[in-house]
Amino acid sequence: MEFLSALLNGFSSGGTYAIIAIGYTMVYGIAKMLNFAHGDIIMVGGYAMFVALVFNQPLVALAFAILACMLLGITVERLAYKPLRGASSLAVLITAIGVSSLLQSLAQIIFGAAPKMPTQFMINGAITLGTFRINYSTLVTLAVTVVIMTALTVFVKYTKTGRAMVAVSEDRGAAQLMGINTNRIIAITFAIGSALAAVAAYLMLMKAPTLSSTLGAMPGIKAFTAAVIGGIGSIPGAMLGGVLLGVIESLALSVPQLAPFTDAIEFAVLIVILLVKPAGLLGKARREKV
Amino acid sequence: MKKLLALLLAVLMIAGTCVAFSSCKKGDETIKIGLSGPLTGGAAVYGLGVANAAQMAVDEINAKGGINGIKLELKVMDDANDATKIANNYAALVDWGMQLSLGCVTTQPALEFKALSKTDNIFFMTPSASADAVRAESNGYQMCFADKKQGVAAANYVNGLGLTKIGVFYQSDIDYSQGIFTEFKANLNDTITVVEASFTNQTKSDFTQQVSTLKDCEFIFMPIYYAEAALFMTQAKSETGIKTYYGCDGLDGLESELDLSTIPQAITMLTHFKSDAANAKTFVANYTAKYGTDTLNQFGASAYDCIYAIVGALEAAIKAGKTVDASTSAADMCKILKEQIDGGYTYSGAVTGTGEVKWTTDGFVNKEALVHVLKEASN
Amino acid sequence: MNRIVSFFKKPFLRNYANYMVIVLVALVFAVLSLTGSLKMGTQFLLEQIAIAALLAVSLSMVVGFLGELSLGHAGFMCAGAYLGGKLAAAMTASSGDQSSIVTLLVACLAGGCIAAALGFVIGLPALRLRGDYLAIVTLAFGEIVRNVVMNLPMDWFGGTLGLETPRFDRKYLFVLALVMVLLCLAVTQNLIRSKHGRAIISIKDNEIAARAMGIDITKYKLFVFTVSAFFAGVAGVLYSYTVSRVQSATFDYNYSIEILVMVVLGGMGSINGSLIAAALITFINTKLQTVLTGNLAVLQNVFYALILITIVIYKNAPGLKGFREKYNLKNLMAKLSKKPSEEEVPHE
Repeated sequence: MEFLSALLNGFSSGGTYAIIAIGYTMVYGIAKMLNFAHGDIIMVGGYAMFVALVFNQPLVALAFAILACMLLGITVERLAYKPLRGASSLAVLITAIGVSSLLQSLAQIIFGAAPKMPTQFMINGAITLGTFRINYSTLVTLAVTVVIMTALTVFVKYTKTGRAMVAVSEDRGAAQLMGINTNRIIAITFAIGSALAAVAAYLMLMKAPTLSSTLGAMPGIKAFTAAVIGGIGSIPGAMLGGVLLGVIESLALSVPQLAPFTDAIEFAVLIVILLVKPAGLLGKARREKV
Repeated sequence: MKKLLALLLAVLMIAGTCVAFSSCKKGDETIKIGLSGPLTGGAAVYGLGVANAAQMAVDEINAKGGINGIKLELKVMDDANDATKIANNYAALVDWGMQLSLGCVTTQPALEFKALSKTDNIFFMTPSASADAVRAESNGYQMCFADKKQGVAAANYVNGLGLTKIGVFYQSDIDYSQGIFTEFKANLNDTITVVEASFTNQTKSDFTQQVSTLKDCEFIFMPIYYAEAALFMTQAKSETGIKTYYGCDGLDGLESELDLSTIPQAITMLTHFKSDAANAKTFVANYTAKYGTDTLNQFGASAYDCIYAIVGALEAAIKAGKTVDASTSAADMCKILKEQIDGGYTYSGAVTGTGEVKWTTDGFVNKEALVHVLKEASN
Repeated sequence: MNRIVSFFKKPFLRNYANYMVIVLVALVFAVLSLTGSLKMGTQFLLEQIAIAALLAVSLSMVVGFLGELSLGHAGFMCAGAYLGGKLAAAMTASSGDQSSIVTLLVACLAGGCIAAALGFVIGLPALRLRGDYLAIVTLAFGEIVRNVVMNLPMDWFGGTLGLETPRFDRKYLFVLALVMVLLCLAVTQNLIRSKHGRAIISIKDNEIAARAMGIDITKYKLFVFTVSAFFAGVAGVLYSYTVSRVQSATFDYNYSIEILVMVVLGGMGSINGSLIAAALITFINTKLQTVLTGNLAVLQNVFYALILITIVIYKNAPGLKGFREKYNLKNLMAKLSKKPSEEEVPHE
């Protein structure tokens, strides 16, 4: 019973990781950069929702946060990443770290150091089956994750913009020659990734209403891990990786002796998976051409 | 070649600045008090509480004319709760002319501060770094209760309740929580079953799993800080199996985070600060007027007490014929304060504790703790 | 000025200029320190710069020369700091001398070797993994090391309280640390300039071509990871000597990233660049930390981030190439060295 409930909790937190990881994986696939600032977009999304609570409507707040995050994502891309297009990917990594640190400091300057607790987003209650319980928040998270994953898969496969994204991620030069406006596609990808971060912020606040400037840092790294486990660039992979990571985390936390080692266990699983499948679970191993 | 020149330039620049900084001369007419705490990062709310309250105490004392006409000056450095930053902070404070200090706000940096200040014999009285190892026999005192004492007191309290099963929710990667919990477990009756759930800095943004582990425990002991406790309580709002939360002084500040009336469970804590206690009223009112309620917590109250306790000790020393002024060296200051405090100096008028405050000669605080019922169960 | 410039242009001096600068710094500051005119803050700063330099130079072997991205350098440092520190503590306990140079050297060797062994182990997946996949594995490794070390029984490594280590006399610890930097520099520089170094660089440029040329990629990759980890371990032991307690929280992935920032800012594949960047970043961070106090503290990271972004964009943005060529340090130096030389002409 304990095990089952830990498993379900894992699905719930895994769903959130999955959504962040999908954003991560898309941005990585297109821009070929480790966006260390991705986690902090979640934090900004959380604060945006907090501000938008003046409307007293959680869903309006979510819409506001999505818009704010998209705008932020595009702005950051434009100012900090775009000038470095064509430069070494490590240079972009460093500016991403700079952006991350900047966003965290600004959040503390604007909103103060004390964590905020916007309980308005919380969804309480659970379905009870005997002694077994499923929280509504778990169901909502899973539903949202599946919907988003399906929608994005369809979008990428069947729309013109989506296919352009695939083309840009496969070969940016060739895509440009085919008449694809790569700058526009990259901006769109950042917008989508950031919107997903806002959704993730909503899902996080729905279960655990805490908001501080460092909120996004750890989920960002976890999502990065999830994206790699699933295979960077693969949307279903990111979903799988996220859920897997969430489940491992919950199971480890549910055993008192293992709980302090949770991080080590998660990362050890990552290493083992990558040793067996170097391109992640669903990633395509690419043969290098000579 | 160009690289060589650049290298030389860099070296010259560094050397130049070092010389420039070392030639700064002190010589103003204040008694200089140093402090290092987390003003940024995850623990900033505690550091800011201490910085604000200490500054408030200093301003109040200066408005009344300082010590014997000499004004106080406080300098607060940011360590972001990172022990590696202490060396630089400490050196900067010493260069600034620190004569005595409040040490550090949090335990891990405080241990580093203690080691450095011990070599130079600089007095410190930490408001809130509570590990037993923080205070030092030669120069360091605590205003807060040491973790060991809190763990023993909490265990005694729980032993007296006649429970057979309790839950414990703690943070495994900070010494405050680990320290209290270890001591608590060692002193708990064997007949009580303990259900454990823990978290780390990396897993502190969602407690769904921990709530489900502890949901059948009527009584939950949480030796953690209030931000995480507030989150746990909010997430466990609808758990009817949980009846009572019990915590240590880290829980203080809960009201600033959380509307307590929304929590159905009873909350009790063992603390030295109670914001609605008679002796704390003026402090709380003044603090709130100046800085709001966001950073109002026992850390700050304790820092406020530190400043007044030190000033009281210095005034007593002056009365006893000692000379204390802006030119007293840090080592002399330490000697004077140590003589006073170890010689039975009593600080009265504290906003923490319930009455007079004294210290043991090895630096532990000796005052009455409060078992403070934050709220009764409401269901 | 011209004469000085041409003096330094001699090949011998050009190759060993960095050693000379470090020796010079060590000597000047050692004299200052022993005469008691060196501020404590400067002593600490020099220690930190030396440790940062060790870390940056050793990481630049992996990132700059071998071309693999590693985000776990702090993990090697952590292993060195804990195990070397433990050994140093034990030796100090029996000898009673906090500042024994023999103890320090033995601890450095031991800490370095343990880190090197771990480096070898982490080098193994590097054979199979590529680019960012390797990056996340190294990051994971670093986090595992520090998480495990902290959760081992209290009496092993001090648990959450941290491991108590001897604190070396700060008057000359920085000199010893700078000597270690010299050692690391000698190893790295000679390695890079040797036939093996060229083999390593060829792996970065084109692994397949390198293999086709008969270069043993497995051997070289493992070798570089091992050597690099060794010096990170040494840096860890030195670090343990600068603090009273080694605490695992220090070695999180942000620390690895900070080292990476030094390597990237210094310029990929430039040892001197890594040295300068390590010194500069440590210096900037310390100054920001000690100047922006109290209410201004929150601006530290804002400034640091802005400086970082500006430098990286200035140095790397393809669009700023023209601008960069017009206004840069080299031109500035050339202008500066030109003026006095023109004035010198009539005198001669």
